[in-house]
Amino acid sequence: MTKQIHLWAFLQGIGHYPSGWRHADATPEAVFSMDYYKSVGQLAERGRFDSIVFGDQLQSRGANGHTPERVAIPTLDPIALLAAMGAVTEHIGLVATVSTTYFEPEAVAERFATLDRITGGRAGWNIVTTAHPASAWNFGQDEMPEKSSRYARAHEFVEAACELWDSAETDGNAVPVQYRGQHITMDATMPGPALPQGRPILVQAGQSPDGRAFAAATAEAIFCPAPTKEDGIAFRNDMHERIAAAGRDPEAVKIMPGLSFILADSEEEAIAKDEAILDLADEALCIEYLGESIGFWLGGHDPKEPIPFDDIVAGTEFPVADITRMLEKPAASGIALGEFASRHVRTPRGHTVFRGTPQQLADRMIDWIDSGACDGFTLQPAYMPGELEIFVDQVVPLLQKAGRLRLDYPGPTLRDTMGIAA
Amino acid sequence: MNRHFILSATIAQPELNNPAWADSVLNGADRAGIDLAVLGAPGSLPFDPMVIAAWAAPMTQRIGLVPCVSTAVAHPFHSARSLSAIDFLSSGRAAWNPIAGAGHDNIVAADMVSAARSLWDGWASDALIIDKESGRYLDGSKVRLSNYEGPHFKVRGPLNAARPLQGHPLLVADASAPFDVAGTDLVILEEGQAALPGSNCLKRAGNSPDLAALVAEFEAGEIAGVHWTLTNPGDDLREIAEFSSALSRFRQARETGSTLRERLGLPLSDNLISEGAFA
Repeated sequence: MTKQIHLWAFLQGIGHYPSGWRHADATPEAVFSMDYYKSVGQLAERGRFDSIVFGDQLQSRGANGHTPERVAIPTLDPIALLAAMGAVTEHIGLVATVSTTYFEPEAVAERFATLDRITGGRAGWNIVTTAHPASAWNFGQDEMPEKSSRYARAHEFVEAACELWDSAETDGNAVPVQYRGQHITMDATMPGPALPQGRPILVQAGQSPDGRAFAAATAEAIFCPAPTKEDGIAFRNDMHERIAAAGRDPEAVKIMPGLSFILADSEEEAIAKDEAILDLADEALCIEYLGESIGFWLGGHDPKEPIPFDDIVAGTEFPVADITRMLEKPAASGIALGEFASRHVRTPRGHTVFRGTPQQLADRMIDWIDSGACDGFTLQPAYMPGELEIFVDQVVPLLQKAGRLRLDYPGPTLRDTMGIAA
Repeated sequence: MNRHFILSATIAQPELNNPAWADSVLNGADRAGIDLAVLGAPGSLPFDPMVIAAWAAPMTQRIGLVPCVSTAVAHPFHSARSLSAIDFLSSGRAAWNPIAGAGHDNIVAADMVSAARSLWDGWASDALIIDKESGRYLDGSKVRLSNYEGPHFKVRGPLNAARPLQGHPLLVADASAPFDVAGTDLVILEEGQAALPGSNCLKRAGNSPDLAALVAEFEAGEIAGVHWTLTNPGDDLREIAEFSSALSRFRQARETGSTLRERLGLPLSDNLISEGAFA
């Protein structure tokens, strides 16, 4: 049988371009209403997607106490959102991003157990360790634990949560679980019944060596950037080696790189459409976006002057070394702040960006799968819901016709849909 | 508006984890006229009430959703966000009942409330502009840091979620797990406990409650309504539905008003909003 394509819909409220909410077919007010989530959940289900995915942050967008007026989009809590969407859909998976740094394992285990049970086995957990320093301040801490210690905690956290899920007995008898690690101490019980999936699908997205080691040991699906097919192949090969070294079956782990896309009837039209959306990000918006991504409020700085490198380094909320590495070269070149910011916003976050026709996209997806670059794609519509509608109406039928995408769901749970055994 | 006689019920059966059971009981409660479904109970949480409340938001029409939130596993930043989401997804029907978790005292529960309020108050109700033409999404001057520091919790803010539709979700306290914080909207009394002057109290209904006596207490302003704990949902809901129709003259508000606060006549008072924040 030809290899099937797995599809996830990565639905950040108003799309993945900072200016996407200004597109004529975007409905930015709707992202606070149930009607919107019901319609996009059912849309993704009509497209036979494996799952919906929501990212998450544990801090508001902004820097140095300033909230940017054009990019600080408030979001809804992903688990609450997915639980509500689970009530109005029947088959689609519900993958929520939850941090192991700013939660406790018994709370997370209970949340996912409830989500899995109430949706008949459709829960997935995108495990993150949280990297934004401003998150620490919302949990009473002055600074974030350093990276390797966050990952060490994540290992123990997932282990503790799994022990708790495994302890849930079908007959309802709660077996106490005692976990003692370096970072996690847990005494908890999980009253039954057992989760429909046994455990939620474990998803991981980190790229660093710590992140890859963690994914090799734990993940059942991996979200990653792959700017080109060759990058995808290299990443998948690397992960397969690491997964095998960890004593697990590499084929059982699905690699799902991000895919941004702009579709139109011809390639030229798609490129023009893409440019038009990017042009909605005027200079002021780009400066706010840059400020947010470097942890330094740039509102008081003249766009025509050079990048205020010394001020940024002295005032950033992020690790100074990271910011220095990022800005050293452009600052030395003397480029004006506004010009640099406008370029920065056009730099995708390492994900491939497709511009073309539905047929070209379907061909590209099949080629990547057959080349061993991935097992599926995490679709990142530039704006919502218009671009996702085009994908479902025009690309999905092509994939189905090619025998690469299911016509119907194989079973009730996300594990059934993804083909991942518990 | 005439006062509305509130009907409230705790649903804490582990079967709330089961979608068919939860659908039938929550919708049964909604149809019976119950205004508030308290999900979970102090000391007994066989599921995450916040997840059940979110799931129930699109499944139900008018009923208020009151997750119990234990301070043993919750943090105000997470709680404030979840409740904001549930309030939006239910069109303004969110409420909560904070309870001190194992090893915590009631001061922690009160601290959780104050911290969550400071986060909600960090966003003005008119902070969002969402104007495609000008490209302005929000008014930055209407979003502020909380810098909250209480006896147990410390949170900087701002919340990455908008102010709930109701301003603050309705705050419900259970007298069997009390906490002391200004502006508690409703207090569920313990069995046999006398009404607390100055509070909106819900009297716990025993077996075969005396309707005439309850109406007298309601008309005298001693109680705001009645609270049941469902033990046998089928029978209990039939009894409550009869109660509701017998009280129909005090129950006009149920069909009108858009948010739970409006329907129950429990507006958010201005002096509840944290200092330096916005109405």
